[in-house]
Amino acid sequence: MSDHLLEIKNLKITVATRRNVLNLVDNLTLAVKKGEILGLVGESGAGKSMTGSAIIGLIEKPVKISGGEIWFKGKRIDQHPDEVRGHEISMIFQDPMMSLNPLWRIGDQLIEVITTHMNISHQDAIKKAKHCLVEVGIDPSRMNAYPHTFSGGMRQRVVIALALAPNPSLVIADEPTTALDVSIQAQILDLLKQICKTRGTSIILITHDMAVISQTTDRVCVMYSGRLAEIGITKEIMAHPQHPYTKGLVASTPQIDASSFEKMLYQIPGSMPALDNIPSGCAFHPRCEHAHDKCRAERPEVLSNRAACWLLDANEGQ
Amino acid sequence: MLIIILRRLFQALLVLLLVALISFLIFRYVGNPVENLLGQEATVAQRAALEEALGLNDPIHEQYVQFVWRAIQFDFGNSYRGALPVADLIASRLPATLELALTSAIFAMVFGVLTGIYTAIHRGSFLTNLILSTSLIGVSLPTFLIGVLLIWFFSVELGWLPSFGRGEVVDLGWWNTGFLTASGLKSLILPSITLGLYQMTLIMRLTRAEMLEVMRQDYIKLARALGLSPRQVYFSHAIPNIMIPVITIAGLQLGSVVAFAIITETVFQWPGVGLLFINAVYFVDIPVMSAYLLLVGFVFVIINLIVDLTYLAIDPRLRDSQLKQEQ
Repeated sequence: MSDHLLEIKNLKITVATRRNVLNLVDNLTLAVKKGEILGLVGESGAGKSMTGSAIIGLIEKPVKISGGEIWFKGKRIDQHPDEVRGHEISMIFQDPMMSLNPLWRIGDQLIEVITTHMNISHQDAIKKAKHCLVEVGIDPSRMNAYPHTFSGGMRQRVVIALALAPNPSLVIADEPTTALDVSIQAQILDLLKQICKTRGTSIILITHDMAVISQTTDRVCVMYSGRLAEIGITKEIMAHPQHPYTKGLVASTPQIDASSFEKMLYQIPGSMPALDNIPSGCAFHPRCEHAHDKCRAERPEVLSNRAACWLLDANEGQ
Repeated sequence: MLIIILRRLFQALLVLLLVALISFLIFRYVGNPVENLLGQEATVAQRAALEEALGLNDPIHEQYVQFVWRAIQFDFGNSYRGALPVADLIASRLPATLELALTSAIFAMVFGVLTGIYTAIHRGSFLTNLILSTSLIGVSLPTFLIGVLLIWFFSVELGWLPSFGRGEVVDLGWWNTGFLTASGLKSLILPSITLGLYQMTLIMRLTRAEMLEVMRQDYIKLARALGLSPRQVYFSHAIPNIMIPVITIAGLQLGSVVAFAIITETVFQWPGVGLLFINAVYFVDIPVMSAYLLLVGFVFVIINLIVDLTYLAIDPRLRDSQLKQEQ
């Protein structure tokens, strides 16, 4: 437990509609180690972003955390997230074009964040802000520039500078490169990775892009319908996925080698179930070609195996 | 930057000249000034002399230039009724209207923005629902009815506040003010509320809608994720971003507060230019009407100018795009 920076235990996030209560995240348990990059992957609506928002305490009514615990550095934070928000845990969002206040100079936005979390003089805050910009590869002479004079990639650099300025131990990056040009994506990810590795900052990288996961993360957590499907070391999962859903995800990622040009890209049949219509047992069973009776009746959990799938138990039994 | 301001000033001037043209056309062609001045029993010679004296035989564009030139010097001719210079009439009435407009505009702005922000932040609370449902009254009841209701309740039933007039007025020579006496201030309350209530609810609803919109923006999400306090998020990130639409509408509303003071002034027998205008309409006092039109046009143009310049002060994006246009 001691090497775990963040622990999520049996997290449940629900939203009450007029007719019933929907589970956005259902019984999610995972941990983030100090200095590691954990990928959170899944389709839209799998509960990835919800989990991120829950960690930082930005869940808004009518959505609420209705069960489970979140522990950070040995302290439970789901009750008082504002104690860690910003200076211990920070978050980066998808669209850098919209993430900066258009009316403020970027330097002033940095200084505001720095003085909020650090007890330093204004002069030192300016110095620190310039240093932060240099760190993300922006000329500090642009302190006085407004966000609209930056490109998308540059703005995401500014956002990274903002998020990392108070030196947090954990950064949640919610699809940080989805809105960016492909050529910029790798730059931004490398930058984020490099800064966090030097500082020992952990990252939770939320994405739906398996390529990004395999290039960037140490461990990966696959989510499906708000549930944990598979969790483990990225290389192992990419090489030997165990959960049929993960297998599908890996198989549907384009591979650039000679043989792949002739093959059609694999598609997982069907689509993720609607929140008000999550199937019984394993949520994935209607799309799973190996599903058997137990899959339809009982819900699998990640226990002895790294994947929540009855097939693994069955295989072990054989 | 200076060029932008000068350009705006130039545009404002053009609009004013256009307003002056309409005002001039009313002055010149609605009714016959000669007949209005001399009555029907005047001789032909008298008429011809007056026409010559008023310059009515000059080419039309020269008359317009003359009209504008005199307007610049605050010479709007004499009122048909009482033969006083229109400029003096308006000057004596203007302080009353401006004080009323200013008070109700401040009332509308302050309460409108405050309640708008409050109801956006505390969505669904009891007070919010109370404010929102009460504000429907402000939007749906006509001004004169609100005025009459207020008079009935606060003047007739409770007897707390005067029902008409400005109360005691202190004469400062060039300006007479009701701000300095207790009765003057008391007299301001009911008319200001009557005049400002509609604008207040409008500004409130706009502020609320804009605030709810801005609170959904990613930069607000990021500001919160960066651990800024709710106070910082609201005051330094959300509120500045709602100011452009709010200032636009509030500015235009301030103009209409001056223009629509007519109804309130009539209800409360407020001795301002609105009341002067209504009486001018009864008696077809054309010079007063055309001068009033010019005055209202002037107020609108000035307010628009200020609103435009405020945009540039608030939003760096607009500043840059304007500068680009200049180059």
